[in-house]
Amino acid sequence: MSQIPEFSSLDYSQLIELQDRLREAEETLEAIRNGEVDAVVVGGPSGQQVYTLENADRPYRVLIEQMQEGAVTLSEDGVVLYCNQRFATLVGADRSTLIGESIERFIGDKELYAFRRLLTLNRGFGRSAELTLQASNGLVVPVNISIADLEGEDQMPKVLCGVVTDLTRSRERSHELAAANLKLASEIDERRRVEDSLQLALDAAEMGHWDLDLLNDKLSRSARYDQIFGDAAGGVSGQLETIFSSFVPEDRAAVKDDFLRAKSAGSVEFERRIRRLNDGAIRWVQVKGRTFYVDGIPGRISGVISDVTERRQVEEQLRQSQKMEAIGQLTGGIAHDFNNLLMVIGGSLDMLDQRVTKEEKVTRYLAAARHAVERGATLNQQLLAFSRRQDLRAETLCIDDLIRTFANLLDRAVGEAVTVKIQDAPELWCCRTDAHQLETAILNLAINARDAMPQGGTLTLKTSVRKLSAQAAVVNGANAGDYVVVSVADTGVGMTPDVVDRVFEPFFTTKEVGKGTGLGLSQVYGFARQSGGFVTIESNPGTGTTVHIHLPQTAPVETTEAVGDTPVEVRGKGTVLVVEDDNDVRAIASSLLENLGYSVVEAETGSDAMKLIDRGERIDLVFTDVIMPGEMNGIDLVRAMKVKHAEIPVLLTSGYTAQRIAMAEMAEGLQLLRKPYTQVDLSLAVRRVMNEQV
Amino acid sequence: MIDHDDTKPSQGQYKLRLFITGSTPRSARAIENMRRICAENLEGRYDLEVVDVYQDPEATKDLQIIATPTLVKILPEPLRRIIGDLSDRERVLAGLDIAPLDKGDLEQP
Repeated sequence: MSQIPEFSSLDYSQLIELQDRLREAEETLEAIRNGEVDAVVVGGPSGQQVYTLENADRPYRVLIEQMQEGAVTLSEDGVVLYCNQRFATLVGADRSTLIGESIERFIGDKELYAFRRLLTLNRGFGRSAELTLQASNGLVVPVNISIADLEGEDQMPKVLCGVVTDLTRSRERSHELAAANLKLASEIDERRRVEDSLQLALDAAEMGHWDLDLLNDKLSRSARYDQIFGDAAGGVSGQLETIFSSFVPEDRAAVKDDFLRAKSAGSVEFERRIRRLNDGAIRWVQVKGRTFYVDGIPGRISGVISDVTERRQVEEQLRQSQKMEAIGQLTGGIAHDFNNLLMVIGGSLDMLDQRVTKEEKVTRYLAAARHAVERGATLNQQLLAFSRRQDLRAETLCIDDLIRTFANLLDRAVGEAVTVKIQDAPELWCCRTDAHQLETAILNLAINARDAMPQGGTLTLKTSVRKLSAQAAVVNGANAGDYVVVSVADTGVGMTPDVVDRVFEPFFTTKEVGKGTGLGLSQVYGFARQSGGFVTIESNPGTGTTVHIHLPQTAPVETTEAVGDTPVEVRGKGTVLVVEDDNDVRAIASSLLENLGYSVVEAETGSDAMKLIDRGERIDLVFTDVIMPGEMNGIDLVRAMKVKHAEIPVLLTSGYTAQRIAMAEMAEGLQLLRKPYTQVDLSLAVRRVMNEQV
Repeated sequence: MIDHDDTKPSQGQYKLRLFITGSTPRSARAIENMRRICAENLEGRYDLEVVDVYQDPEATKDLQIIATPTLVKILPEPLRRIIGDLSDRERVLAGLDIAPLDKGDLEQP
């Protein structure tokens, strides 16, 4: 009994399981019979095979038919077994004409080889190539063809699947993209060209560029900017502070103010000094910039910078020479009047000399007074030399010959404490200048040198030749060309730059009162300018001073004229017409002429004189001042006489004699007597003119 | 929710595997039906795996699949196969040994 329930229970569970399995098998069969399945799986020696039932692959067919790529199945040699509509459209043919045809009819000859390789190479792997289809309707269609092998039974013929993608659109797009790229590239090129030419222009103008980003406090700058600041590395962090730190401390606050103001004013422009990083030199820079606003807030200040040190130096030179010119004008005018005064004093002394008894004391006083007049006249000549109204007696002379004959005088002038060295020039250089003035100039410089070396030292005199470039010429207000440079160097106390700036001014002196006239260097300056040259000075406190007189070089000539005569008074007869606007001078001139035995007729102006002559009075000589107010000056008078009364000789006089040059056009032989003159000078000049006329 | 940790299924956890053939109509319907039945009756306690026999024909061997779609209940035992597109809900639930519940009823834990 006990066994039965055990057995029967085991049997029961088996029964249940068998029942279930049976039910499952029945359900399976029924499902297959009723078509409730899509596929059956069949086991075989080559593994599990899935067999899809009818219509089960419909979604795939729809997918293939509807997709926007061409799809084909091909035999191994390229015969179309199937193709979708899209492929037929691509090649422009009817689908029914395509099946059974070789696809190769749509492949161009050039690509046929590549296409065949695509079909046959790398069997078993997916592969693709870009080719061009020659469609029936004449269109050329760029496509990508990808090929896969269709797995099949061994005995079945090999079949290839292909997907053909039309690349026309994507090609077009890449062409559009390429065109857009090209356009962009050319725009970039154009922009770069503009930037390049801007850079070139800035470079040509020696301007640096800077851009200050106010929002991020960032400074960007060009290579030239760093060059101007002498910052070879260009490495300092770019901030506004770095701009300020380059400026000299005295200018820093002003630069800060300028930049601060630029934020509201919209622009910045200033000239200030920087200390250049690489050599520590103080340079003037000009900064110009504009503020750019973003939504009304200053965002950037951008602009240019240039080193204007040289321009400022030239301007300084120009200012200096304009000042000197003005002083020259003034001095010339004063000297003219002063000569008239000396004339009156000197002439009166001559007259007195003849009228007073020759007591010893009287003679001494007269001599002292005459000596004072002579000194006054010499001073006046120096003034006129400075103002370039002194007549130059120009002749071609060899500088070194002159200096050699002059050595003794120099030695005496500088005294024993100072050693004079004269460096022989390698050649003999010549210039056209006034020998006496050059001597005076060198003597003036030697005396200054002596005074600069109270404890003794060395005075060096040498000549050299310097070729002046156009730029250097402008700075010195001269013409480009070759110059003979006479340099006088001392080893004395030297001068500070502000003293150097003023040394050419008349009456400027560093010497004690009574020790110097302040006219020495003025004479040197005026003489050099009048000779077509110029003067430069190098001086440093403690190391001495060197003055260079530059005179234009000329070709040498053989001889120089020698002059020298001992003045003796010559009396004469005849009527002299004295034309002079200054009453005192006229009176003295008349008295002197009467003393010499002449009769005198006076006229105050040129036109009065002309009337007198026209009236037919007997006049043997016209003695006229050159400079006179009114419509007819001395020169005009001479011109008028040339027309109507050429037979009457003329003697000119002036305290201010550069006009002689202006008279070059006048007849040769016109004589000029320089004021102040003595009775002896006058007698000789009158005699000479009257004799010449005879 | 699908629990991928099928090595140690917890008590009452269903391990199911659905065999289909790509996107054929009945396969697609079977996937849809299975998801609905699981969501309504087995919320939180099933692990469903869908096998495409096109991609993995050998997977049919172990569970002796002869047609698709077929749902296999691997756990809890006994192993049961339900063939067809699973549109007969009563039959599926019976096959899974689950008492049918009306829609909207809360399930017992």
